[in-house]
Amino acid sequence: MFAYYLELAWRRCRQNVSMMLLVVLTMAIGIASCMTATTIFAALSGEPLPGISDHLYVVTMDSRTQGDADDEPYAKPQSLLNLRDAKALVDAHRADGQFAQAQSLAQVSTTDGKQSDRVVGIIGYGSLLTTLGVPFRYGRPWSEAEQAAHAPVVVIDAKLAERLFGTSNAVGRSVSMGTGTFRVIGVTAPWKSRTQFLGLTQNAGSPLGQDMRFFVPVGAALDNGVGPLNSGKCAKGAPVVNFQSTNVAQCRWIETWVSLRTPAHVTTYRDFLARYAQAQHQAGRYVHPPQAKLFVTQAWMDRLKAIPGDVGLNVMLAGGFLLLCMVNVAGLLAARFLRRQGHVAIRRALGASRRHVFMQHLVEAGVLGVAGGLLALPLTLLGLWVVRMQPVAYAEAARFSPGAFAVLAALSLLVGLVVGILPAWRVCRQPPALQIKVA
Amino acid sequence: MELGPILSTLRRHKITAFLLVAEIALTCAIVCNAVFLISQRLERMDMPSGVAENQLVMVQVANIAPTEDAKARTAEDLAALRRIPGVKDAALVSQVPFTNSSSNTSIKLSLNQKLPTLNATQYMGENMIQTFGSQLVAGRDFRPDEYMDYDAVLKDLDLVRKQTSSVIITKALAERLWPGESALGKKLYFADVGVRVVGVVKDLVRPSLFLGDDAAQWSMMFPLRMNGNNANRFVLRVDPTQRHQVLEAAAKKLRELDPHRIILGKKTFDEIRSDFFRNDRAMAGTLVGVIIALLTVTALGIVGLASFWVAQRRRTIGVRRALGATQSNILRYFQTENFLLATIGIALGMALAWGINLFLMQHYELPRLPWIYLPVGAVALWLIGQLAVLGPALRASRVPPVVATRSV
Repeated sequence: MFAYYLELAWRRCRQNVSMMLLVVLTMAIGIASCMTATTIFAALSGEPLPGISDHLYVVTMDSRTQGDADDEPYAKPQSLLNLRDAKALVDAHRADGQFAQAQSLAQVSTTDGKQSDRVVGIIGYGSLLTTLGVPFRYGRPWSEAEQAAHAPVVVIDAKLAERLFGTSNAVGRSVSMGTGTFRVIGVTAPWKSRTQFLGLTQNAGSPLGQDMRFFVPVGAALDNGVGPLNSGKCAKGAPVVNFQSTNVAQCRWIETWVSLRTPAHVTTYRDFLARYAQAQHQAGRYVHPPQAKLFVTQAWMDRLKAIPGDVGLNVMLAGGFLLLCMVNVAGLLAARFLRRQGHVAIRRALGASRRHVFMQHLVEAGVLGVAGGLLALPLTLLGLWVVRMQPVAYAEAARFSPGAFAVLAALSLLVGLVVGILPAWRVCRQPPALQIKVA
Repeated sequence: MELGPILSTLRRHKITAFLLVAEIALTCAIVCNAVFLISQRLERMDMPSGVAENQLVMVQVANIAPTEDAKARTAEDLAALRRIPGVKDAALVSQVPFTNSSSNTSIKLSLNQKLPTLNATQYMGENMIQTFGSQLVAGRDFRPDEYMDYDAVLKDLDLVRKQTSSVIITKALAERLWPGESALGKKLYFADVGVRVVGVVKDLVRPSLFLGDDAAQWSMMFPLRMNGNNANRFVLRVDPTQRHQVLEAAAKKLRELDPHRIILGKKTFDEIRSDFFRNDRAMAGTLVGVIIALLTVTALGIVGLASFWVAQRRRTIGVRRALGATQSNILRYFQTENFLLATIGIALGMALAWGINLFLMQHYELPRLPWIYLPVGAVALWLIGQLAVLGPALRASRVPPVVATRSV
């Protein structure tokens, strides 16, 4: 029966080609615009590091000490801490994993200075690489002993290793960074988070994660003139807002993140954090009540509006457009089906039930929907290409994925069926006798 | 034209008529809001900067290591830049409008005030007003003897405390701090340091709008001399026709003067503005595309449905013609029918437009849709409807009366 319906649908399409093209094209551009917008939205929403960031929490508190340049009311939770606090929290080892981090931009060269690249990386403290799950190709992360001794060691990614040494196994080689020489102890695979979530307060406007090419322990970094991109909020009279400054002893510039795998751990850690902050306040170090809080990655990103509102707006626009296309197609199909009332009446008189007529028309609509979906595929690719050409920060998110293909196939069938329901229902309700008379 | 026959025909085509009305309503609602969104974006992109945009270029540098005699080196740099043909003025400044990197501070109106009044941005650099081409609307520019070295002030804030330093603020900031009064001579404080307002400029936008667009013009300028260790943006005021040549020459000169320097970026101010608002521009472009697509789809839908109706009613039309209806009677019939459906759709669409706007106001901090957009949207849809139906209606009017005598 289904095959027969398909054949009927095919015959009808050939009878009125221009109308069929209009229907298919309208569905195709509706589906394509919707796919383009949702592809970008999907790339920018969800966990930045699946399986990891959903139990990563950022520590926030009002850790301003006497003489902090910032004297505004504590309206928003602040994640930037003084290195002393960050170290204390990490060294306490109260979470399942903990690290402090700040982004840095450094000129990394071979020791002979022949090869060099200016790259973004992370200055870190604690189990940064293991907690973030950065995959190693060679070597290992830095040890606690190296970290404590300010040993000049660095982990670089395979791309930088190849750029500098022509091979990705650069373990044991040395690189120049800042004023010092660092020994490479590990090489990671190129690594970035799907979306930016570390150091959000200092990275507004770039929603996509970017490759982190080096990871260096904070003690050695600051000793050797490798400073954070932004020195954050500093005490009055301290040298301020200096790009790449290593003079950050009096500044709040580093973020602390902890991995907490169960709700019980979260509760325990929250208590620990509150006690730590309160103790600092009571000792007179923190001037204000600390209001220590933990935020899980997603909540933190929402709070800082890490994903531009325009992306959501685009999805709504595309959804509205698809809806319009569907109403349009439904109207055309209704007219098209009803025009053949005579045929339907004859089929009914020959014994086809209402259900059969309904099914037959629904199949026809579904076929048109699938045809629309097929045409939507190149249109979606075109749409994504247009977005990539745009100078917007999220342009790189506009890439077609196999998952999106499945969604597109399902969507086009669904659209075809949904727009077919009303016209098919209308046409199957025709009483047979009347129509035969007219015909 | 009597509406009776039209209504009774539509009653026999409820579903198709309903779908056409829904389509027009949706289009009307989305188009009204989209046009409004575009106007909002365009208005934002037009935000005044307060600087002589078509004459400004910027070179941003980074020094690999701090220099010993930074002050003298910077003076040399600036002197060399000023000698480049086409350069009218040059300055080394702490920040530049629309470049997203800014230094900000909260200010108070008296020393014993507990909470700060607001947060404003700090522009610093010698000869900045001249170079930016800012328009003074009250007071004066800084005198040469008022300038202090930023380095020295950082080490010893007493330098500022001893002789009350000057500040120049924007008109918007002056009006916000002292509404209805002249700001000249007034004092404002940050932390425990007070400065006196000596001048007011028309506009000077912040480098970054992180506090929202309402705070865009809250800027202050300080008579502080920067050097290569604490500032890295050279701004040149140049002959507009030579901007690109000067920019190249300036970057080359700066590299020549200090080979250890890296040029982080060189841009004309037009490029800076265009980069800053690129998201708004992209969104406006998307919205224009969406509007065109919506109207096209709606128009095609109307053409398609009207063509079907015409084909379906060929016999009826023939009968009417045979009974004495003129060609223009038939034409009017289809035009009126479309006008009727469009009107119902537009009425529903306006209500829907209002609803969508309320939703956007809640989620995207948009203002209320001005009512003027509604009649404009209505006229647009009426026009589209009439244009779309014209073809099928003309075809209908040419149906000869003899059709009535044939069986279908």
